[in-house]
Amino acid sequence: MSSPATPFIPLLILLLLALAVGIGILWVSGWLLPRFLKPSNPQQAKLTPYECGVPLFQGSARQRYGVKFYLVAMLFILFDVEAAFLLPWAVQFKSNLATFWVMIAFVATLLVGYVYVWGKGALEWER
Amino acid sequence: MPTPTLTQTLVIALIQAILVVIFIFVIVPLTIYAERKVLGHIQLRLGATRIAGTHTGLTGLVNRSMWKLGKVPVLAYWRGIPMLVGDILKMILKEDVRPTKADRFVFFLAPSLSFVAAVMAFAAVSFVPGTFFTFPKWVPLVGGLPLSGGMADVNVGLLWILGIASVGVYGIVLAGWASNSKYPLLGSLRSGAQIVSYEVPLTLSLLAPVLMSGSLQFSHMATTMATGLPFWGIVPQMLGFLVYFTCGFAETNRLPFDMPEAENELVAGFHTEYSGMKFGFFYLGEYINMAVVSALAAGFFLGGPWLLPFGLQGLVNPYLPAWLGQPCALFFVVKIVLLLFVFIWVRGTIPRYRYDQIMAVAWKYLIPLALVNLLLAAMVRYLAV
Repeated sequence: MSSPATPFIPLLILLLLALAVGIGILWVSGWLLPRFLKPSNPQQAKLTPYECGVPLFQGSARQRYGVKFYLVAMLFILFDVEAAFLLPWAVQFKSNLATFWVMIAFVATLLVGYVYVWGKGALEWER
Repeated sequence: MPTPTLTQTLVIALIQAILVVIFIFVIVPLTIYAERKVLGHIQLRLGATRIAGTHTGLTGLVNRSMWKLGKVPVLAYWRGIPMLVGDILKMILKEDVRPTKADRFVFFLAPSLSFVAAVMAFAAVSFVPGTFFTFPKWVPLVGGLPLSGGMADVNVGLLWILGIASVGVYGIVLAGWASNSKYPLLGSLRSGAQIVSYEVPLTLSLLAPVLMSGSLQFSHMATTMATGLPFWGIVPQMLGFLVYFTCGFAETNRLPFDMPEAENELVAGFHTEYSGMKFGFFYLGEYINMAVVSALAAGFFLGGPWLLPFGLQGLVNPYLPAWLGQPCALFFVVKIVLLLFVFIWVRGTIPRYRYDQIMAVAWKYLIPLALVNLLLAAMVRYLAV
């Protein structure tokens, strides 16, 4: 019983167990306990979205929001891909000067973009 | 050693999974208890350091019966325990309020996702390299087989932890979206952007231990960082440790960077509409994530399960007790607990950042610092090995 997939069996088991525990607890506290112990007293005001006590201003909250968050997400993808490319290099790096300079060149290329983004003011939250 | 069959592998895996879940459900309430007590002492909050129950109710029963037995009640020694019990009971027994406009399925999915993701990240943490203990012969089915010190010490352990930790962001964003309310939506967007931003320096700072040990397997990395170098990992990697731990605070939404609890701006952030056990799952997930961050820091930077720093393990001679030089899961847990204390300590002392400052710290300071640290690690690796 040994194959490359063997070490991953416990992960699968833990996933199933965590799902079981999570759903079990939510089921007990969300369905079973309300039958016996928990109060259940829904009122119309209680079930409206929280607005600090002010009457509801707009019906739905699913509206447009700042483009700033999309910008952060795009920058994140750029730099996370950089980190993802650095990972295999870091594992294979064994005092190997040639790959070291290659990676310096790669990171330097990305740093040009980083400086550009900074200069454009994309890293400032308020402008 | 006999090779385990498929059934035996599955049974051992199940035992390990149960042990991990038990460990989590032990350490999280203890952390919450410690947090209340430590914060109580730091900030002179009177409740958690004084409360020892009442004369009536459940705690009154314990107190009165122990006085009758002629003993000082245990609640008087372990002050704050009634508060912890009350917390847990209230979380379980409080009414579940789901706003009528909320998306029913996603509203339920988000807390489960953040809990399951946090638990799964714990799977790749290895408490002690090699065998934790061997089952005695009399145990049916699995007698004589070893239980490894890590739940699943896979060869891509760090990648697994980073990937699963990223899934936790979905819990936050989905919670904000499903609530269909303005404060949760804004709070979840802010928390999501913050976590995503801090993920980059986090990964970059964890690359340095990967580079120095040449592996992604947790136990191998911990062993190399503790014994392969002349020092603990923290000595050549001081900068990396600071960058990593700062990002750890932001990733778990802890206090200098806690957007969800910025009450004056966002009410309670993404979990405004949650109550009862659904809120409890976000709470649990946050504390499990704290434990995972502490475990990574302890494993890679603080010498993992080894007690002696500075490569002194090799110098332990026969006249000294043997456990000084041996790895032990207890040392690892003690280091995790110490780092959890640092989490609470920082919460008690450092005020919250403004949101634009949080983003500036991640993008303008931590990313360049992490890259410099990576360069440093490459140089150390080139010169030392």
